Amino acid sequence: MSERPEVAVAGGATTRFGVRAATWSELVQEAGRRLFEAIPELRAEEVDSLFVGAAEPERFAFQSHVAPLAAELLGLKPRRILQRTELACASGQSAIRSAYAAIAAGLSDVAVALGVEKMNLPSMAEANTSMACVMDRPWDGAHGATAPPFFAMVAQRHMREFGTTEEALAAVSEKNHRFANSNPDAQFHAKSFSREKLRGLPLVAPPLRLGDCSSMTDGAAAVLVVRGDLARKYTSNPAWIRGTGQYSDWHNLANAGDLTDWVGLRQAGREAFRSAGIGPADLDFAELHDCFSISEIVAGEALGFCPAGQGGAYALDGKSSLGGEIVVNPRGGLLGCGHPLGATGIAQAVEVYRQFAAEVPPERQVPDPEWALVHNLSGSANVHSLMVYQRGG
Amino acid sequence: MAPPTTPAAEAPAVTARPRAAPATPSSPAPIPTLLDFHPLEDPRFTEIAAFFDHLRAGRFSTTRCRRDGRLLWPPRTVCPECHRSELEWVDLPRHGRIYAFSAVLAGAPLGMEEAVPFAVGLVDLDGVPLRLFGRIEGRPWTELAIGAEVNVEGFDLPDGRIFYRFRARPASPGAPG
Repeated sequence: MSERPEVAVAGGATTRFGVRAATWSELVQEAGRRLFEAIPELRAEEVDSLFVGAAEPERFAFQSHVAPLAAELLGLKPRRILQRTELACASGQSAIRSAYAAIAAGLSDVAVALGVEKMNLPSMAEANTSMACVMDRPWDGAHGATAPPFFAMVAQRHMREFGTTEEALAAVSEKNHRFANSNPDAQFHAKSFSREKLRGLPLVAPPLRLGDCSSMTDGAAAVLVVRGDLARKYTSNPAWIRGTGQYSDWHNLANAGDLTDWVGLRQAGREAFRSAGIGPADLDFAELHDCFSISEIVAGEALGFCPAGQGGAYALDGKSSLGGEIVVNPRGGLLGCGHPLGATGIAQAVEVYRQFAAEVPPERQVPDPEWALVHNLSGSANVHSLMVYQRGG
Repeated sequence: MAPPTTPAAEAPAVTARPRAAPATPSSPAPIPTLLDFHPLEDPRFTEIAAFFDHLRAGRFSTTRCRRDGRLLWPPRTVCPECHRSELEWVDLPRHGRIYAFSAVLAGAPLGMEEAVPFAVGLVDLDGVPLRLFGRIEGRPWTELAIGAEVNVEGFDLPDGRIFYRFRARPASPGAPG
């Protein structure tokens, strides 16, 4: 058996994230235009495969069979693999992982992974309904289980077991909003959120306040994923995919177990670090799935950034900020950028590419980064998906 | 642990079933099936309709695998461990304690907006390895506490269906929470 080819992300782009006066299709087109602008050497006919990360287009845009629609909108005629990937909040990363798997298996050479979600509707109750059917709908969703009350219970248990404070939650949110101020595509770009202001915002699901929760966001993002020997045709700064990990161990909330110990993420982390041949201490930065402030805290613990229970202190002490230990969410995170479900995992990969290429403003540039981790959880943190990237030398 | 009751495979056919109540001028507009969270409870649509019949009769039940003894939640038609359908209905305890709770103060889905604010939580049922999620009635979220006692009860939905919810016990001197 021949050696598996290396795979790289060779560039990418996002739309502006926010409450957009744009349809699902218009967001796809905007991401595509920006992708081709970002990679001038890319010609549409070179793209043999397209993976479309879209969590709930049937709900949010009343549109199914979206992969060929996206191909048409991008001017692509995929001849090897065309598919949609759906894994709720991790749908975007699923698109990249699928492109990576296809290229590593020799089934594709040049692929686009695009993620998109249009979430703001005239009736936000309908949008909330869509979010609640991510859970086990007739058993948990029927009780009103959307993400905020679930992650609120995670925060409540973390506070009880480890003494984590509302100030620690605010420290995570303040940091990510601060980073978002250097990201013009972020939903909360140019908006100031001090810890004091965050702690005065209304409760959404106690103890979580508005600033602890990522938003309902419209947006799209796309990356070019290519066989390693083709990467230099498109970029001088390829971001090499060096490892992945994923774990799914339950779905109904009855099987959640200990809310503050994300066993599935520890499992996925071991596999991601093993496959990349590194450990957490080797990371220069990480894009963690901060759908809620508490998520970044618990995820950092499960990934070994700090001991169990110390995730709050990690943020309060500035260890997740520039100048600290592992910079977390320099893009601005889901809290600062917004969370268009299918687009988030792709936008995180775009940030990794840009950080490696030193294309981001100095306010969020991690100094000379070599290793980066991207984490997406989905649903009620019952699935964890990870990718490890290394800067091209 | 409650004793085994009627095996699922031999559960008697259900004949008398409350139908959806006719709409009255004061009824809210019905929610289309695919925007409605609650299970279709009718045996025309599900093989576990007995769960809802039991609930109407005051029993809180689920399925247990007769081969490996595994208690399955929610009620299943196949055991996910041994992949057999040799299941039986068993009654669950109708009492437990709150492991974690929160409340929906904003962002409620369709059909739940008028209930805001409402409390939800994960409850450890007494004596069985089940921690179930559900709405908590009886006391506002500000008066709930981890460890507080709750009962499980049937809750009649406006259209004639039924679902379970938790009910927090009234405050009493010396009671935890």
